[in-house]
Amino acid sequence: MSLWQKLACVILALVLCGSVAANWLAPAGYAKQYREATDAPPSRAHWLGTDEMGRDRFARVLYGTRISLLLAPAAALLSTLMAALIGGLAGYLGGIWARMAMAVTDLFLSLPWLFLLITARALMPLNVSPLISVMVTFMLLGLLGWTTAARVLCTTAASLRGSDFVRQAQAAGLPAQRLFWVHVVPNLKPVLYAQFWISIPVFILSEANLGILGLGVAEPMPSWGSLLKELEGLVSIGEEPWKFVPLILLVVVVTSFQVLLSKQEEMAA
Amino acid sequence: MSSDASQNQILLSAHFSVRYAGKPPVLRGVQLEIQRGEVLGLVGQSGSGKSTLAMAILGLLDKKRSPAEGTIRFEDIDLLQLSERQLRALRGRSIALVLQSPLSSLNPALKIRTQFKEAWRAHASGTSADCADAIRNSLQGVSLPSDDEFLRKYPSQMSVGQAQRVLIAMAVMHRPALLIADEATSALDVITQSEILALFRELNHSTGMAILYISHDLASVAGICDRIAILHQGEIVECGTTNQIFTNPQHEYTQRLMAAIPRLMHANAPLHAKTATAQ
Repeated sequence: MSLWQKLACVILALVLCGSVAANWLAPAGYAKQYREATDAPPSRAHWLGTDEMGRDRFARVLYGTRISLLLAPAAALLSTLMAALIGGLAGYLGGIWARMAMAVTDLFLSLPWLFLLITARALMPLNVSPLISVMVTFMLLGLLGWTTAARVLCTTAASLRGSDFVRQAQAAGLPAQRLFWVHVVPNLKPVLYAQFWISIPVFILSEANLGILGLGVAEPMPSWGSLLKELEGLVSIGEEPWKFVPLILLVVVVTSFQVLLSKQEEMAA
Repeated sequence: MSSDASQNQILLSAHFSVRYAGKPPVLRGVQLEIQRGEVLGLVGQSGSGKSTLAMAILGLLDKKRSPAEGTIRFEDIDLLQLSERQLRALRGRSIALVLQSPLSSLNPALKIRTQFKEAWRAHASGTSADCADAIRNSLQGVSLPSDDEFLRKYPSQMSVGQAQRVLIAMAVMHRPALLIADEATSALDVITQSEILALFRELNHSTGMAILYISHDLASVAGICDRIAILHQGEIVECGTTNQIFTNPQHEYTQRLMAAIPRLMHANAPLHAKTATAQ
């Protein structure tokens, strides 16, 4: 592991610990309003100042990090499982199944996913609870994000189907379902792990994009996306630099994931 | 041996063709008989259809893309008339296969124990103790250790020779009547090859299992086979005893094959003489 990869590990561990310890580090919570100090600069009481509604920005960053870092892996897991089921099975079965699965994948890839997300979020009632909005946002990301991984898994499973060890197991009299679960799936695991880890930063960024558009996690619950929305009205970069903390955190975390992913790729190669 | 007795001794009798869709036949009217307990060599160049023949016997050819037409009678059952389910019941239990490359024929992601368990469960039901007994017996039968440490290994942690013995042990686990060894020694070094050939011979003698030994290596075929069939461009052009094929080949292709065997006498000739001959 290189120095950069060690550093990435430390950064991710610190950010994760900070978000998990949000209740202790910011006991007042993300929603408490300090009406006497709205849009305040950093102080001893509010390390990153407050937003225009008087909520402590430091608390919101910690809680927002928790949501992004816990739910992006959940969305990645959902999309990876769907990719494994659809791509892996289609590749293993081959023939018309593979063609059908790839046609569906092509269809999904050609869909304007941002438009779909906007539509799906728009269909939800306005008074939906923040928790449900979080679940729905990440579920939608997971449901729409399986296609590329499914393509990779379909190709991998197809090559495994023609491998010597699958042929040998067939000749030993193993039924098709045992061949798939016992002989093919364990060999898909490295690809599945890689797809899972690749998806996490993608989903973190996707949620941030949705949040900027006001379509991510509903208020008052914070997420990196909704925190970045604050930057919309910023006139000058040097004016209120503390408002950039969520953006810097997002870039640092996504970069750390990418650095660690390069390690995974090295190991796979 | 009388002709009736000889008829009873026939384990496999095949007369079939295989054609890939839109292409000339890969196997054309192949006629083959394997007696119980005999070792039949199948010799032919690369691309002559040897592996297709093996896959056709096991019913592992794609029935739509490369259908086998004719009959392949194994213990009086026509394999070409069986359903996939019936074929699966025969594969591994009555007809087993050992492929060329031992390390790629074992699943790299699974421990040896798991692979044995899967092979055992395909045709047997019983307790874990029964399974462990069967695994131990199979491994001892091919002179491999059967301890926990060995069974915990992955294929990548074994030598090629060990991996081939593991494959053979898995293949003979259910005491099949016929073992198809498809170029099973071609990827091995000379010493390991001779050890595996000795193992085949020993298994053949001790269990009475017939072996269809597919190879392009005439030396190994001569060392193990009772009879030899020569496959050329999808047809069996000659079949006879090992002695007859090597000393008195009838077909022109067999004669060419025999003439192509490197002679020690020629190999000992001085290098400059060979160079001069070549010029």
